Amino acid sequence: MQVQFTEDGIHLPEIGLWLDNTQPCAAAWLSHAHSDHARGCHAQVIGTPATLRLYRMRLSLAENQEAPKMFPLNFGESMPWKGATLTPYPASHILGAAQLLIEFAGERLVYTGDIKLRPPLAGDTTEVIPCHRLIIESTFGLPIYKLLTREAAAQRIIRFAQECFDDGQTPAFTGYPLGRGQEIVHVLANAGFRTAVHGAIAKFIPVYEDHGFRFPGWEPYEAKATAGKALVVVPDHGRVLESSGKNIRRAYVSGWAALDNARLRGGAEELIPYSDHADFDELLELVERSGATHVDVVHGYTEPFAHILRSRGLSASAPQRASDRTNIEAEG
Amino acid sequence: MDALALACEDIARVSSKLKKIQRLAAYLQPLDDCDLLLAVQFLSAGPAAQPGVNQTLFPSEEKTSLSVGRALIREALQMATGWDREILRICFSETGDSGETASLLLRGLSAGEPMTLRHAEQLYTQLSLARTSARKRELLTQTYLRYRPLTIKYFIKIITRGLRIGLMERMVEEAVALACAVPAASVREANNRLGDLPQVALAARRGELASIETRLFHPMDFMLAKPLERLEDLADPAHWLIEDKYDGIRSQIHFDNGQVRIFSRGMEELTQAFPEIAAAWKNIPGNGIVDGELLAWRDGRPLNFNILQQRIARKRVRATLIQEVPVIFMGYDALLHNSTLLLNKGFAARRQALESILENAPPLLHISRQHKAATLEDVDRLFRESRERGNEGLLLKRQDSLYEPGKRTGSWHKLKRPFGTLDVVITSAEQGHGRRAIYFSDYTFAVRTPNGFANIGKAYSGLTNNEIKELTKILRAASTEKFGRVILVKPEVVLEVAFDGVQKSPRHKSGYALRFPRILRWRKDKKADQSDDLARLEALYNSSIT
Repeated sequence: MQVQFTEDGIHLPEIGLWLDNTQPCAAAWLSHAHSDHARGCHAQVIGTPATLRLYRMRLSLAENQEAPKMFPLNFGESMPWKGATLTPYPASHILGAAQLLIEFAGERLVYTGDIKLRPPLAGDTTEVIPCHRLIIESTFGLPIYKLLTREAAAQRIIRFAQECFDDGQTPAFTGYPLGRGQEIVHVLANAGFRTAVHGAIAKFIPVYEDHGFRFPGWEPYEAKATAGKALVVVPDHGRVLESSGKNIRRAYVSGWAALDNARLRGGAEELIPYSDHADFDELLELVERSGATHVDVVHGYTEPFAHILRSRGLSASAPQRASDRTNIEAEG
Repeated sequence: MDALALACEDIARVSSKLKKIQRLAAYLQPLDDCDLLLAVQFLSAGPAAQPGVNQTLFPSEEKTSLSVGRALIREALQMATGWDREILRICFSETGDSGETASLLLRGLSAGEPMTLRHAEQLYTQLSLARTSARKRELLTQTYLRYRPLTIKYFIKIITRGLRIGLMERMVEEAVALACAVPAASVREANNRLGDLPQVALAARRGELASIETRLFHPMDFMLAKPLERLEDLADPAHWLIEDKYDGIRSQIHFDNGQVRIFSRGMEELTQAFPEIAAAWKNIPGNGIVDGELLAWRDGRPLNFNILQQRIARKRVRATLIQEVPVIFMGYDALLHNSTLLLNKGFAARRQALESILENAPPLLHISRQHKAATLEDVDRLFRESRERGNEGLLLKRQDSLYEPGKRTGSWHKLKRPFGTLDVVITSAEQGHGRRAIYFSDYTFAVRTPNGFANIGKAYSGLTNNEIKELTKILRAASTEKFGRVILVKPEVVLEVAFDGVQKSPRHKSGYALRFPRILRWRKDKKADQSDDLARLEALYNSSIT
């Protein structure tokens, strides 16, 4: 099956499908609803119901612009598409995130999108899909990145919040608006802390609730009433908070928190290395268990990770794309 | 060593200086005497004691006294982990730290045996005694695989002399004081006398700080002068002793009946670089410590600092260079004379000691001339005369002032005027330290050249905290590449800097460096293409050497 890697996304010309294309196109698969993957306004979009709902919330249509035609597809549910069969499976990156199995002319190709193998703090659990060819991300594709399991991460989040409260301080956690933010709120709220949530994160909580996740007693964040609450805010706001003189201590929950220099980069005192991306060991495990005979590495440390796979006897390449890790603020 | 590593991690986790000191003190307090010595040694001076020199916290050196450099650390890691050079290179560049990279890659590979401080010392000794690189590499590989990764992280950081947990040597002193329940100033003063913080810590614990005697041949802190912004701010001109402010190398002479060492303000030893000065001091009887300035000198006048520059950073000096760039020592204070410490004596008494030390001195050793002024007009006249003599300005010392090492109290003032100002462009920025650690507060800047920009210096003082915050945002957005704590940025931001001179510099692509650059203003009104260019800098340089 032909695969073309471009700056804007991945193109499968034989079946006229683009994967996570950032520019408008005829038909696109959306692996998940982060804006670096789901942002173009395409004529037709395929995705899981949760992804499509989140995509709609983020999509701002110009006047007279036609809304994309949406094809919701549940996990494990197949759909014929121009001679191929498309089946999504959980990728557990964020709510709704899915890998796509494409079966065409006897070949099984899996595109992971952003993926996490171990169970997340809140979300679905990933399945490994046997395939011939695997297109995988490598956000944390270096052996220095070993991240916490969800149990260990939850423990660290709770311990930090408790430590702060014991010292009369206010803990502030920073997370991206969609995914990490809700995961942190899920841990804190279920541990019984009063949890105040920044608006950008809060607006997606109902979607998580509709998918069965509970956030008991969370409340909207108010700048004037922060004492006694665990705060969950977006990263930029975390910096604002810290310099506000409100006796705030900040924790950075991210895969980038695996390195000490994250402390300098983000300024947070507490580093909790947990991510909605697979860490290095998970990536290797995913590749090995998939049984793929060829692997394309498309995001992050593409060249080094492909090099490591090759040194283990696999066929692997890192197609040149613009999304490789050049931006230090990449979501992780 | 395991506990030391945990304590360091714990110290890194808080940004407050006070909390860091408290955490370190809590770690040090219960240690037995031998462990206290080792812990303070590792935290303040690196793996092996080198009495005398480089007692500052982790001077940046590629190789350490163990002859274990970054390449060796990396090669051993390659052997221990099996990762190839290319992967290791990327890992090192992402973390920016050898010890951290080792610890991250050794997870799951090491046997996890405990390591005591005494054991760490033995390992350092073995590494230091190993004759060949191959043997050192082998030892290091075994060490990697045997102990806990977190312990290895700090074991290596101590070798590379960069803990990177926001701990300055002063803070180690304060932690020692806190752990031993003695005043911080008494630890500082004792360490200044002895130059050996581990021994000072032990004395502090035993209540014996007062009996610590001054030891010669380790650099003491220099007393510093506060800049006097405007002459009119000087309240009572008659109370000051006034000397010329020399534009040379501030240095400290330690001598003891024919034995001599010369130290710079950067606590480096300069004895080898200035053999004729050392030789002159060998003739001085008795012992003592003298503060003064090395100056290039001809026909009774100082030569430009640019000329003196040629004499710096040379291990061995050719005889011809000594002739080409003749140097003298200008003494202006005495800290110790014949085993009597003079720090707490008034300036007049110290001056008397200085004069008696340099009585009948060989011609290369001078005494700084003193003047008195009755009015501000007198001071202004002295300033102009000093400039005519080829000096920078004036140094004013209160008659009764004590010698306060490492302090800038205002009982000494310096009066000088900037050489010039330039509008320059920021090309890279580095994260600051302590409270400024979350901001990019240190800037490397450049002038325009026909094909881009060429760096001429670095500065970190002069902007307000709010400006630094604002700049941090802008620079982060303009960053093009990142190396550990440093980001390269698109040349967009223009600063106006003042400086005291221009000198040749092989370190910068421009070929020049500014002396004592400080930021005057952030020129938000200017674009990068309106900044000053290399031609202007060259003109300034040429005007300064004539």
